[in-house]
Amino acid sequence: MKLIEALEILRKEPPEPSDAFRAFLASGFEPLHLQTFLTAQLRLAFPGRKTQILSGVYGDFWGNLDRLSALGADVGILFCEWSDLDPRLSLRSLGSWEPSTFPEVLSNVRARASHLVEVAEKLSRQTTVVISLPTLPLPPVSFTPGWHAGALDLELKAIASSAGAKLALLANVKVLNSERLDRASPPGARLDAKSELAFGFPYQLTHASVLAEMMSHLVSAPTPKKGLITDLDDTLWSGVLGEEGFDGVFWDLEHHSQSHGLYQRLLDALSETGVLLAAASKNDPQLVAKVLDRNDLILSRQAIFPVEAHWRPKSESVSRILKTWNIGADSVVFIDDSPMELAEVKATHPDIECILFPKDDPQALLELLHQLRDLFGKGVLSQEDGIRRESIRRFQENVREFEGRDGKLEDFLAQAKAELTLNFSKEPLDPRALELVNKTNQFNLNGRRYTESAWQSYVKQPDTFLLIAAYKDKYGPLGKIAVLAGQTRAKKILLDVWVMSCRAFSRRIEYQCVAELFKHFQVSHIAFNFQATTKNGPLREFLAQLLGMEPRAGCELSKDEFAAIQEKTFQGVVEVPNG
Amino acid sequence: MDETEARLRRCFSAVFPSLSATAMLGADATNTEEWDSVASVTLFATIEEEFGIQIDLQATDGLLSFAGLLDHLRARTAPRSG
Repeated sequence: MKLIEALEILRKEPPEPSDAFRAFLASGFEPLHLQTFLTAQLRLAFPGRKTQILSGVYGDFWGNLDRLSALGADVGILFCEWSDLDPRLSLRSLGSWEPSTFPEVLSNVRARASHLVEVAEKLSRQTTVVISLPTLPLPPVSFTPGWHAGALDLELKAIASSAGAKLALLANVKVLNSERLDRASPPGARLDAKSELAFGFPYQLTHASVLAEMMSHLVSAPTPKKGLITDLDDTLWSGVLGEEGFDGVFWDLEHHSQSHGLYQRLLDALSETGVLLAAASKNDPQLVAKVLDRNDLILSRQAIFPVEAHWRPKSESVSRILKTWNIGADSVVFIDDSPMELAEVKATHPDIECILFPKDDPQALLELLHQLRDLFGKGVLSQEDGIRRESIRRFQENVREFEGRDGKLEDFLAQAKAELTLNFSKEPLDPRALELVNKTNQFNLNGRRYTESAWQSYVKQPDTFLLIAAYKDKYGPLGKIAVLAGQTRAKKILLDVWVMSCRAFSRRIEYQCVAELFKHFQVSHIAFNFQATTKNGPLREFLAQLLGMEPRAGCELSKDEFAAIQEKTFQGVVEVPNG
Repeated sequence: MDETEARLRRCFSAVFPSLSATAMLGADATNTEEWDSVASVTLFATIEEEFGIQIDLQATDGLLSFAGLLDHLRARTAPRSG
């Protein structure tokens, strides 16, 4: 983004919002154009919200951290440069570069880096903290020639790196990936000495622009995709199965097909983080099964579910896979080596992200692997990530088996020995709740997303209740699958938040949740803070069924109305004080 | 309006959004309320990026007006003869 483009974005007033997004930029330098870029990037990341970035006092990085603490912003955005760790590492200081001072410089930097970790830990208890560690080149303090790494330089970088590792382990703290920054903003072209000396702003515009964009990604944390559908021939493996036979397709160095092995390796790793994988291939299903059973397959056979192998259009395969997963096309990536197949799928599922597999270009393949990490990457892994794939597979297979015996869904649910565990505790605040609220699209009362600090602030209000529901049955656990939050007013609940994982659909859990709200709080009415979104059709349909009419903001359901229409539920309910 | 003026107008519009097209022609640091030192730095950075030039920050006396900047840019971007 160019500076003029950032300024033009800021010129456009967003619609008057009810909730402004407030960030605090803490740096020791004059933030100047960096603040402009950052505000513009956050405006793009949070459309419709007024973005306000406050900054502190020039030359006082550490004091600015105190100011951030006192302010209570939605997010603290920290830019720590070498000059903040020791002023002698700045162009604006004329402190000594004599070798005899090196031990003192190191000691100073070590102490301040350690202090940064302590301060960030404290700040993270009240707000989200994102940090950029030194991005600028060190001035020529060390006595070695430029091509010879001096011990001072290496030790300084080791201290910064060690602090970064400690910060990355803190909950609610995110550290900018310096390796990715290096790719987008070459280290040698970051410092603007003229601007640093004239205005105290040390960044070239291009560096400030890239840095602001990456920090904005850290702040906004784009929702990761949930599922990946892959082609097989010349994608998951090299070769055409129908021509080569099941033992004639490869994915290794020996057969000049390592790119496909690396692709499998990444898919396997994605699967371990809860990403759903499926295959859509125009192929003989029996041959496909034979390859997927090969011992040398890198990707775990169990990771791919379902496998759609036949000769019908791939868009039909994708439709069936989406139905099995019960997620929207916009949460899914489809990868194929054929532009024609990608176009056919895109025509039927315009929201799906279609990516061409670069079968003969290792460099492009590496880019693809990075791209997939970006699309599916998560800040932290939850217990639910580990059981998502298996829970979908088990449910589908068991329902299918039951239906094959002419059983009804109700009969299947009745024999599943399901148990719903309800936790109304707000302390400690379970991070899974916010994760579910911010990533659920379909069964979501109003689609509202929260920042960490906004969520904490909302939940900690004395009259706010929080309910987290976990589900398990005899086929295994689904983990924590529903979050409800709201306030009680006399004999009424004002329900602000209700999300439920798509994996929990078709089990009547939603009815059970409503029943438990009436029971637990002994209220006569529930008012739903409903807002239609482009994706929350399932929740809208459920409410319409309950209310007998299209839901609207503030629509109410009485206990008597609910009792009259309540569907049979199938879960035993356990309420726990904590956990 | 030549291309240089159009591009300079875009820079001015970005930095001084409340300035009308007419007022822009006569704008300088003394008659434009929003034109403070930060606005100057932002304007010069925007112009440097837009025109791919470096402005000598020690010699900005004639550059604190739309007209002065336009003359400066025309002189620097004019094709050289000979």
